[in-house]
Amino acid sequence: MRRRSRMLAAGVFLAPALAMIAMFTVVPFVQGILLSFQSWDGVSLDAPYVGLANYRFVMHDTEFWGSMKNAVVFGVVGLFVANAVSIVMALAVHRARRGAAFFRTVYYLPGVFSTVVVGVMFAWFLDPKIGVVNQALKAVGLDGLQHNWLGDPKTALIAVAVVFVWYHWGFGFILFLAGRQDVPQELYEAASLDGAGGWAQFRYVTWPGMSHVTGIVSVLTLLSGLQIFGTVQVLTNGGPAGHTEVPTLDIYQQAFQFSEYGRAAAMSVIFGVCLIVLACVQLWVSRRLGGSTDSRAEKGS
Amino acid sequence: MNTLVDTARGTKTPPVPTPSARRRGVRLRGPRMALYALLIAGALEALVPVLWILSGSLQSAEQLYKGTDPIPRPFEWGNFATAWNEGGFSQYLPNSLLYTAASVVGILVIASMAGYALARIEFPGRGAVVGAILVIMIIPLPASFIAQYKLLITLGLANTRIGYILVLIAGGLPISILIMRGFFASQPKELEEAAAIDGASLLGTFWRIILPLARPGLVAVAVIQAMGVWNEYLMGLVLFSDSSLMPVQRGLTNFVSAESPQQQILLAASLIAVLPIVVFYAIAQRHIISGLSAGALK
Repeated sequence: MRRRSRMLAAGVFLAPALAMIAMFTVVPFVQGILLSFQSWDGVSLDAPYVGLANYRFVMHDTEFWGSMKNAVVFGVVGLFVANAVSIVMALAVHRARRGAAFFRTVYYLPGVFSTVVVGVMFAWFLDPKIGVVNQALKAVGLDGLQHNWLGDPKTALIAVAVVFVWYHWGFGFILFLAGRQDVPQELYEAASLDGAGGWAQFRYVTWPGMSHVTGIVSVLTLLSGLQIFGTVQVLTNGGPAGHTEVPTLDIYQQAFQFSEYGRAAAMSVIFGVCLIVLACVQLWVSRRLGGSTDSRAEKGS
Repeated sequence: MNTLVDTARGTKTPPVPTPSARRRGVRLRGPRMALYALLIAGALEALVPVLWILSGSLQSAEQLYKGTDPIPRPFEWGNFATAWNEGGFSQYLPNSLLYTAASVVGILVIASMAGYALARIEFPGRGAVVGAILVIMIIPLPASFIAQYKLLITLGLANTRIGYILVLIAGGLPISILIMRGFFASQPKELEEAAAIDGASLLGTFWRIILPLARPGLVAVAVIQAMGVWNEYLMGLVLFSDSSLMPVQRGLTNFVSAESPQQQILLAASLIAVLPIVVFYAIAQRHIISGLSAGALK
């Protein structure tokens, strides 16, 4: 009886959440898989099944695979460059005796901006004629380095990646800072009694103590790099000639510009499966790497 | 890294009057200066682009086109009025306020109930539900937004306010449920037990006792979700064709792609699009760290 009332209560409390998630996340996910085997123009009521035709098209779509390659670039840049900046700055702010609150607030500020606004901002900074980057180069006499940063296939992707790092490192910073604050101070005292220097303390106390944070932040930054959309759409719209095309944008264009919803769904499925597998692999790896060090940290404290 | 840790150790060590300690005290000045140089460089890197766009939004077209002078002469406050009028913000801004308020309230109610059940009510399959929510959190938006669009068309909810709000709530739920679950799990149980002994129903206890005590957790979720919803772009882009319903980020891209507005007006428009959430962030930012760390790190 008591067990039954607990079940009932749990059901009542969970029902709205499960219904919403099922309806608007799980059902579309499954429907998307079905849609990838259909041909739908976005308007008509019926969408005939076309078997693997969409997948066959996507397999030979060089722009899509180019966009996947670019997504990997953003993912890797997020994972290594943005996270490296994040962790260094988080440790620095943790050390700071004065102004920690100020730095914390300022570092996260770009992350408060929307991706669209970040796109508008940097499109202006990087504008070949009136952009501040080229103006500044001219002002210091380096006219030769002036460049159409977003218009040149050689520099466009790098320029967008720099913008991505500017926009995104504050997010990891906040989480690393929280993680650093959770590492017990006693561990450092014990380590320094044992004669551990600065590097040894980082290597054997800070890094393992933050391993679970590192795992989560890695997954989140990798995923957000792979799924970049608004900034790219506003900065370059995938150009020049697809050199900054990314999968989310490609899927959007395929659906809403070319009305090829089935193909877009097939791209979504391929891209989504890659993302899910990557996230799972990465979580698994960080659990394995983190597991042993976590238990050591617990024993230590 | 080396220097940073060294510096801290130096500051924590009480001053011992030995020659070596004194030498260390002198040596530490360098690392501390390097630390602050790094911190200030980081602050400039984050702030200068923001200040630059602010300056650009206040310049005249001629000044903006001419050069690198960062001080607007004169201050063209009219840019903001022009942007407001031409950019249709009197429509977009109230839309975004409505979407943000409605979806955040929805998320708070639904996620706190679910989080409470998952943290406190023991029932078979609880672990499986938590696991399922974690898995669903991994389903990326790009893997489902085309199908979400199709679903909302089927339901007659595409290009409607309620459709967008429902999508926003569903999208914000998994992380919010996990944050609230972490929060409830860390709270003492005594008050609820006392209420139960006094004969309060579970729902009554929840509304009158649990939720008021959960305010810090609710605030953290509200802050994080409000920022996410205000800046949401992809679904706003996909779901709306009627510009009178569009949220502000979507409205801004309408403005960007309109026949080449002048740059300084565009910059002013961008700032209008982020100003409300930046002010909100400035007020609420101390709650972000607690929310993010409670939800994401546990």
